[in-house]
Amino acid sequence: MQSITFAYRQLNALILGKPQQTRLALACLLAGGHLLIEDVPGVGKTTLAHSLAAVLGLDYRRVQFTSDLLPADVLGGSVFLPGEGRFEFRPGPVFSQLLLADEINRASPKVQSALLEAMEEHQVSADGATHALPEPFFVIATQNPDGQRGTFPLPESQLDRFLMRVSLGYPPADAELKLLQGGDRRQVMHKLTAALSAADLLQLQQQAASLHVSPALAGYVLALLQATRQPELFLHGLSPRAGLALLAAARAWALLDGRDHVLPEDIKAVFVPVAAHRLTPRLPGSDSSALLLRILGNVALA
Amino acid sequence: MLADELRLARFAVLAALALVALPLFLHLPGWVPLVFALLLGRRATLVWQRRPLPHRLWLMLGLLLPIAALWLNLRTLVGREGGVAFLLLLVGGKALETASLRDWRVLLALGFFLAATPLLFDQSPLSALWLLLSLFGLTWAMVLLAGEDARLSPAVTARALLLSFPLMAVLFVVMPRLPGPLWSMPTEQQGATTGLADSMSPGAIGKMIPSREPVFTAEFRGSQPRVSQLYWRVMVFDQFDGTRWTAANLALPRGVEVGASTAALRYDVVAEPFQGYLPMLEQGVAAGEGVVLGYQQKLRRVDAANTARLRYSVQSVASSRYGDALGEREQAFYLQLPADNPRTLQAGQALAQRHPQPAARLQALQLWLAEQGLRYTLNPPTLADNVVDGFLFGSRQGFCEHFSSAFTVLARAAGLPARVVVGFQGGEFNAQGRFWQIRSSDAHAWSEVWVDGSWQRVDATALVAPQRVDAGIDNTLGEVAPRMPLVGGRPPGWAQWVGQQWQLANFSWQRWVVGYDAASQQNLFQKLGLGEVSAANVAKALLGGMALVLLPLAAYVLYGRRVRRSLPQQVWQGLAQRLRRAGLAVAPGDTAGELQAHARRLTEAEQQALAALLQQWQRLQYAPQGGDDAAWRSLWRQVRAFRPAKVGRKR
Repeated sequence: MQSITFAYRQLNALILGKPQQTRLALACLLAGGHLLIEDVPGVGKTTLAHSLAAVLGLDYRRVQFTSDLLPADVLGGSVFLPGEGRFEFRPGPVFSQLLLADEINRASPKVQSALLEAMEEHQVSADGATHALPEPFFVIATQNPDGQRGTFPLPESQLDRFLMRVSLGYPPADAELKLLQGGDRRQVMHKLTAALSAADLLQLQQQAASLHVSPALAGYVLALLQATRQPELFLHGLSPRAGLALLAAARAWALLDGRDHVLPEDIKAVFVPVAAHRLTPRLPGSDSSALLLRILGNVALA
Repeated sequence: MLADELRLARFAVLAALALVALPLFLHLPGWVPLVFALLLGRRATLVWQRRPLPHRLWLMLGLLLPIAALWLNLRTLVGREGGVAFLLLLVGGKALETASLRDWRVLLALGFFLAATPLLFDQSPLSALWLLLSLFGLTWAMVLLAGEDARLSPAVTARALLLSFPLMAVLFVVMPRLPGPLWSMPTEQQGATTGLADSMSPGAIGKMIPSREPVFTAEFRGSQPRVSQLYWRVMVFDQFDGTRWTAANLALPRGVEVGASTAALRYDVVAEPFQGYLPMLEQGVAAGEGVVLGYQQKLRRVDAANTARLRYSVQSVASSRYGDALGEREQAFYLQLPADNPRTLQAGQALAQRHPQPAARLQALQLWLAEQGLRYTLNPPTLADNVVDGFLFGSRQGFCEHFSSAFTVLARAAGLPARVVVGFQGGEFNAQGRFWQIRSSDAHAWSEVWVDGSWQRVDATALVAPQRVDAGIDNTLGEVAPRMPLVGGRPPGWAQWVGQQWQLANFSWQRWVVGYDAASQQNLFQKLGLGEVSAANVAKALLGGMALVLLPLAAYVLYGRRVRRSLPQQVWQGLAQRLRRAGLAVAPGDTAGELQAHARRLTEAEQQALAALLQQWQRLQYAPQGGDDAAWRSLWRQVRAFRPAKVGRKR
């Protein structure tokens, strides 16, 4: 537990003024989920992904997604070995513990779906052979908000593969001032030390998954899910899978708090990041997050 | 086009219309409802075969022909029969014009209108039951048309109707009434009245077929009378042409004198006028609102032309005589006799010579009649000329008409002014409803003889046949076991019980629903302390009544369906409520931490108490060990004891 607190502190030293987002990102990985960071360029998306990999001691690769990227560039491909007279599978960047898929919505849908399939199955199939991905395996994808030029927005079914979507936003003034006065963040990043090992992380994940969820809390989650299913709010309400994701994220959040059971506070903390990207508002122009906050304000605990 | 699932609804609309129109078969020329049924049936087959509507031209033709026929048949398209028949045909035509959902709704609305029309013909409880059935059918169709699931629709319909009934009742009671029942529309000329004819010809049989059809009801205030006191007087026949008794209807402006030696019977009657006259017990002393007691002890409606059923109050003294000072000319009028029936005249004159005293002569006449060996029967032979002679000296068989006619002729021949009174005798007491039901078969005729300055009732039938009934009546008058006044067979016990219940329902219906007119409304308003039936008071009563009816409904909708809260819910909501009462802006979805954040405005001690409560709450509700019932109850007690003081705007 101390190791995770240490990791959290290190992250906040690097990503200034965003304790909530860094904590969400940490909880997301503790829950074994993939993270989508959505924001305009230059607010620290890549830095967050990079530093997460560093503090968690994960083997880290990065792919910059472009429109001419091919699936093989991510997954890897078979190479003919003339000496031995056979093909050999050369693993791509996806074979790492933490893959940073930068600007995922710039790539073609073909690449996107190849990556998302790997995320879901934790394996890659090529030339009839199945290659398992390492454990743990995380994808942190960043994307520019829709409406920017040259992007292929991820379809909802694929957004669903990400446990959370987090927006960083501009830092608060005092944090930004500190940032402007300090040195290059990438220099600072090199000073980061791994707070835990991959094995520690797997153990923490198991611990999170075993946290107690009381029937009353499950009832509260159900009430929230049902509230999203009112037809006048969203095109489709949250799925049961989203409900399970919500509980997994809340357990990780509770673990970060050092508790052995989940409280409604945990649910409320992760609800918007877990749910917002899975929903399309009924009325064009309205914002999922705002609607979800309204639901949180109105659904009683009991 | 409509969605296919609404096909069932469309059939339902047509079926409901058929149901609504069914009673009209009883009241309209039979072919009119038949054409209506054909039009509906045609529409149903079109729906069934999913075929388009017929061309407008066909529709015009299919509608103009029956309307023309209706004109030829009734010579009118307005009034009760003509108007309803016309409406029925138009609704049938509309059915063949309905394409859009809106059209079907219009058709349904017409159905609701149509459902009221049978009441113009008949206002019995059966009609009301049918109306209820019609309403259910129409509402059901409406529910289906609104897209309700077919399996759920009956329950939805029933609930909708049940919820609307209280409001219906309020509107019925409060809305201003037209003077007289709404449905007393101008009726057609044939207007046959039951029981009593406008003349009496004792020779021709079958004028009064004794059916057990109910005619009117009477309700006594205070003590009930004896059956022998119940001489319901309706008409007086004072002219005889040898075979037929008629009413001269002299309207002499003279009141009625009744020696009020005994206490008056006070009672209310609900009856339809017979030839303009209403039944009243002998001898009437005071008439209530809407009726006038007049010459010859006859009771009339104030608005004499109105033939609708009426409820009225009367007071009578049970007495077989009443004083009336007849002048010379009047005495002569009541002595007029044609030269027919010589033997009867002879007998009368002989008796007159033997008994110069009128009172003694009257007794002698009665004695003489009793000795003639007359027999009471409902099935006497018909008589041609000199009917009185034929009866008294020939057939010697007859019923009340024969007896009263013969005795009156005899009395006139003996020089005593006399006349025939027609009405009803007796009645059946309904013990549950405490009212008297008088039937057609209670119709009766008796004589009145003027002796020593007063009219004396003489029931010649009772003289001769106090309690005898001739066998063999059933063969000729097959309808129901016939029953004549003073004598009679009774139906079996259970049938009587059922009959009485039905009478009771009928009576209550007539009394409370059909008879609810402007006067009774005024009465009710007074009793409720609402004053006059004015626009302002009606509005007040309407608003008050609707509030009375709708508020419990609203309360039921708001609170009644709320599921009983569990103990944790009670604790949590109780806590939030207490904080709200203290003036904190607590949102429904707040968590324990958020409540604590709100509570920073409370006093230190209160904050600590709240923190302890919230901690317990979290442990019981969410921790792995959870909480048992006892723990929850203990927490609930603590929450109830927690009463934070109201915080100010600022602290």
